[in-house]
Amino acid sequence: MSDDEEHYEPKAHKKLLQAIGSLGKVQHIQKSTRDERQSRQDEFQLMKGVSSAETHRAPKAVGLNDLVDILRTSTKHSQTGKKLKNIQGSKKVLEKPLEKPAADRIKRTIGYEGVTKKLGRWDAVVAQQRSAETQVFPLPSETVYVNTSANTRSLNTRIKSNLAKELEANNLKLRELRKAQIGDTTDEKELAKQERLLLQKKLTRDELFARRKELAYLKMRESQKSAKARMQNKIKSKKFHKLQKRQKMLEQMKEFELLQKTNPEAALEKLNALEKSRVQERASLRHKNTGTWAKNLQIRAKYDKDVRKDLAEQLAVSRELTQKKHQSDSEDETTNKRVVPEEEENDYDPFNPWTKRKATEQTENGKGESEDANWRQYWTKRNKNEKLLEEHRRDVKEIQDNDDEEEKEAMQKPLTEVRAAKKNPKISKVKIENGWQVEDISPTDQKKVKGNTNSKAIDDIFDKHEDQIRAKLTKKMEKLKERVNKLKEAPVKGKKTKKKDVLQNLKSLALKKSKQQVEIDEPLNYEEDKDSQNIIPAPLEGNSETPVVDTIDPNKVTTLLFTQKKNSSGGLNDALIDDEAAEYDEEDAAAERQLTISQAFEDDDIVADFNRDKSKDSELKNTELQLALPGWGSWAGAGISKEVMERRNKRLLLKLAAPEKRRDENKDNLYLNESASKQAREHMVSSIPFPFRSLADYEASIRAPVGRNFVPETAFRMLTRPAVITRKGQVIEPMAESELVKPDRRLRHIVDRRIKRIPKVPPKAKIA
Amino acid sequence: MKVKMISRNPDNYVRETKLQQHKMPRNYDPSLHPLEGPREYVRALNATKLDRVFAKPFVCNLSGHRDGVSCFGKHPKQLSTLATGAYDGEVRIWDLANRISSRNFVAHDGFVRGIAYTQNGARIFTVGDDKTIKVWKAEAPEVGEDEVPVNTILSKFGLHGISHNRKDNKFATCGEVCAIWDESHNDPLKTLKWGVDTLHTISYNPVETSILACCASDRSIILYDQREAQPLRKVVLTMKSNKLAWNPMEAFNFTVANEDCNLYTFDTRKLQTPLKVHFDHVSAVTDVDYSPTGKEFVSASYDKTIRLYNAHHSHSRDIYHTKRMQHVVCVAWSLDNRYVFSGSDEMNVRMWKANASEKLGVIRPRERVNFNYQEALKQKYAAHPQIKRIARHRQVPRHVLNAQKKMRAVKDKEQVKEANVRKHTKKSKRVPYVSEKKKHVLKEEV
Repeated sequence: MSDDEEHYEPKAHKKLLQAIGSLGKVQHIQKSTRDERQSRQDEFQLMKGVSSAETHRAPKAVGLNDLVDILRTSTKHSQTGKKLKNIQGSKKVLEKPLEKPAADRIKRTIGYEGVTKKLGRWDAVVAQQRSAETQVFPLPSETVYVNTSANTRSLNTRIKSNLAKELEANNLKLRELRKAQIGDTTDEKELAKQERLLLQKKLTRDELFARRKELAYLKMRESQKSAKARMQNKIKSKKFHKLQKRQKMLEQMKEFELLQKTNPEAALEKLNALEKSRVQERASLRHKNTGTWAKNLQIRAKYDKDVRKDLAEQLAVSRELTQKKHQSDSEDETTNKRVVPEEEENDYDPFNPWTKRKATEQTENGKGESEDANWRQYWTKRNKNEKLLEEHRRDVKEIQDNDDEEEKEAMQKPLTEVRAAKKNPKISKVKIENGWQVEDISPTDQKKVKGNTNSKAIDDIFDKHEDQIRAKLTKKMEKLKERVNKLKEAPVKGKKTKKKDVLQNLKSLALKKSKQQVEIDEPLNYEEDKDSQNIIPAPLEGNSETPVVDTIDPNKVTTLLFTQKKNSSGGLNDALIDDEAAEYDEEDAAAERQLTISQAFEDDDIVADFNRDKSKDSELKNTELQLALPGWGSWAGAGISKEVMERRNKRLLLKLAAPEKRRDENKDNLYLNESASKQAREHMVSSIPFPFRSLADYEASIRAPVGRNFVPETAFRMLTRPAVITRKGQVIEPMAESELVKPDRRLRHIVDRRIKRIPKVPPKAKIA
Repeated sequence: MKVKMISRNPDNYVRETKLQQHKMPRNYDPSLHPLEGPREYVRALNATKLDRVFAKPFVCNLSGHRDGVSCFGKHPKQLSTLATGAYDGEVRIWDLANRISSRNFVAHDGFVRGIAYTQNGARIFTVGDDKTIKVWKAEAPEVGEDEVPVNTILSKFGLHGISHNRKDNKFATCGEVCAIWDESHNDPLKTLKWGVDTLHTISYNPVETSILACCASDRSIILYDQREAQPLRKVVLTMKSNKLAWNPMEAFNFTVANEDCNLYTFDTRKLQTPLKVHFDHVSAVTDVDYSPTGKEFVSASYDKTIRLYNAHHSHSRDIYHTKRMQHVVCVAWSLDNRYVFSGSDEMNVRMWKANASEKLGVIRPRERVNFNYQEALKQKYAAHPQIKRIARHRQVPRHVLNAQKKMRAVKDKEQVKEANVRKHTKKSKRVPYVSEKKKHVLKEEV
């Protein structure tokens, strides 16, 4: 036994104790120990976490508190203990790492975000590629320019060859030898020197300087003048040239006036000359917008308002020049006529019955101004109007008194001052001179309401009305403000909830194609392939699509075509000849569209018009044509009995067939176009195809010809450029990263260059 | 005796020279051409008709495989080379210019699942059902030499597809996991897994070359980044996607060929809804490939046809089929944007023109100008009913037509039913209208 006890092994004993101790616990399998490097962990080798039971029994781990407690005991370390304590309070313990799936999810999200960001770089390039009218593949790669001049052999710059040099040297030697033979001892070089010296001696120093100065001055003047002339020639400003011209004209006029006084004969001659020049101008096509300048401008006129203005001005000039001067008296008349309506428009007097007259009456009465009857009429009408107004005023007052007395009081107080200020100029408008009432028609008050005694009253009425309106306005404004505030708040909330659109960038970058093209995205029209089946073919199935119903009136389309033709005939020239037409533009078109509504209702009787249109077709069929010509058949002269004549006329009367009954005869609201051809209808487009938004756009695109016969060769090439150009036998590589930082491609093809030079036209302008 | 002679007027066959041509000075004043519109319309109509007359897309048939063709590998540099793999493990390299098979070897036991050329086209990687990746030289061996792979890698996992990075020497395989490999290593650099049993197709983005995408058998599409340790995102569709192709010109767009007869174009950054749903096939779409211009793609289908789509349109622009072509398994668009290849079940590889009526061979400048003009006219008048009718008229096999009718009937019925249900339910309980695009995406997983 003692032996046994002696053989006590502490290690083994401990192991035994441990084994006994861990009998009750769950884990029997020991922790695996790794002896090999592995990239993948086997799930069976993973250990279980330390069970809670174990932690209970195990001695408590040393906490920070214990440490602090110990440190506190010694005064030496008390400071450190405090610090530790503080740290424990302020610093947080690291969080437990996330569960693996959650951690992975986060990693994935981060990775995906990185990729999206990286892919977003391509937005601009892709948007550009998509909107490009012509794409050339393979994409032109970046060009690297290498200066190869360093490696090239240096240029042989010798002008004389070695042989030539030797020959020359020989020649020199020969000459000297000859000289020596002759006995000539003069040195050529020295002679030349002497000559030069002599020349210099001829002019003194000062003289030379003066001369040089003079020359320089002259040269400078000359150059200045020439520069000025060149500059003036180059000045493109219309205004400058106009002014210059005007100056010249004025000078001429002055001369002419002088001449008139001094030498009337010469003046007459000059006048004749002027007339002659006018005739020449008229005969020539100057100022007719047919010159190169005008033609160039006409191209731009479509897009540029200023240019249009210039052209119109030019036309006006031509008109002015070509118009023959009227005789003086007739000229006065025309000016009068022109001025009168303007005046009438400006000073509209509600009490003046004449202002209500129609234009025709105005001119008529203008002639007979002095007639008394008119005057009387004028006054009677005027008085009547005044009475009516007074009545109206009373009515208004009553109503207002009943309705809103309190409001008035409240509102009027702050406004009284303003009103007083307003009233002041209006009070003294009527003077009494010699028993006549004289109305002061000052130009500044033209638009203001005039009246003699009751002007004040009218003002009151208007002021009251104004106050009311103001009160209402303020109320409305408050309401609106509230609403705006609400709206402002709302989007803030919306923003928070709304997700950011990832493709926003691509969308916003997308350029609008300058050349819109029809895109057809429909299923193909299928029909059974008879080749693939050996069975007898079934009866043909038509288009799988049902035939589309025409909604656009084909006749209307054709008329549109013709109107456009009229406008476009002669290119832009015709359109621009009339300056009114020159002003015509898309913007004007929009205004015109608005106008059409009012124009449409100008004539009240729309229904009648409509019916007239209906009956227009059959008008020709209703008529009888008299074929008899005067004198025809009455060869013997006058005096043939009337009966005979009538009989003959009856015979020659061509009666056209009775009008066919229209299909829409009894339907007032309907107009059936009976002349539309059914064959043409098959070829008409029924609705506006996809990328186009308006009929005008689409029509314009269809109307523009592309063929060689109708447009110049370069335009033809430009218009027929294919959307994708590839080269045979060349591999098209996918887009390279260098595309992202590539500068603009240098365009080689002349058409490309021309296209680039064309100013980008706003799509709106294309309609015209 | 009657002597018959061929006599021809040289004016009929000798082309006039430049000097003989009568040049007419033209006045472009539109008022002198009152009929320019109608004339161009007639020209457009004729051009469209001629276009259909000359629409003979079939170029040739490359026969030689002894089993159905399973996959294509496009040579990145040579246009006249195409590698095809078959169900019996055979790989054939075609000389397209001469329309012959220049080389063939048995690469795998069982199917060849994928072929990929390296970035410079010097080597070919093939994967097969036998869980091996084999590397072959692109040049044919010398006479007398055997066809031996340069390298054979045994993979731990099954392999269903391979795709090579366009810029560096990495490639990726899919199968049970997505593995990224380096050409010089026999072990994968990385394996990426996201709880899916089988990934059956893989494709590297040709532009942003670190991004790749897989289609999985759980109807999902998974995006990966070869530099990340984790996959990026997963989007689950209603049915399985068969193939995936990236747009080579638009780095963020890709198209998947789906089992539900449709193709879906997605933007990588917005996977909740596809950008476009491409209809028209009547059976499962098996393969898709983009044209190198990125403007169009071609799709192969189980309905024995291939279709060409504009990448931004939902309906096909053309349909190709022949009497003998069976289920089309794989399809490819040549890198010069001129031809389309299709491989089908019945062991044939077919070559088609990408533009059905394009003239092959030399095109003289004047001819070219005329073609351009015709094309411009067709484009201009494309919406006119007669021109549209002629341009879009296609003869299709009866089964396609019938299937189409049936599908349309089903769709109409569903629409009617939905409308009726909506009509007869209370406003509060009414089901919201779901657009066609949103119907097919089940969820986007993070």
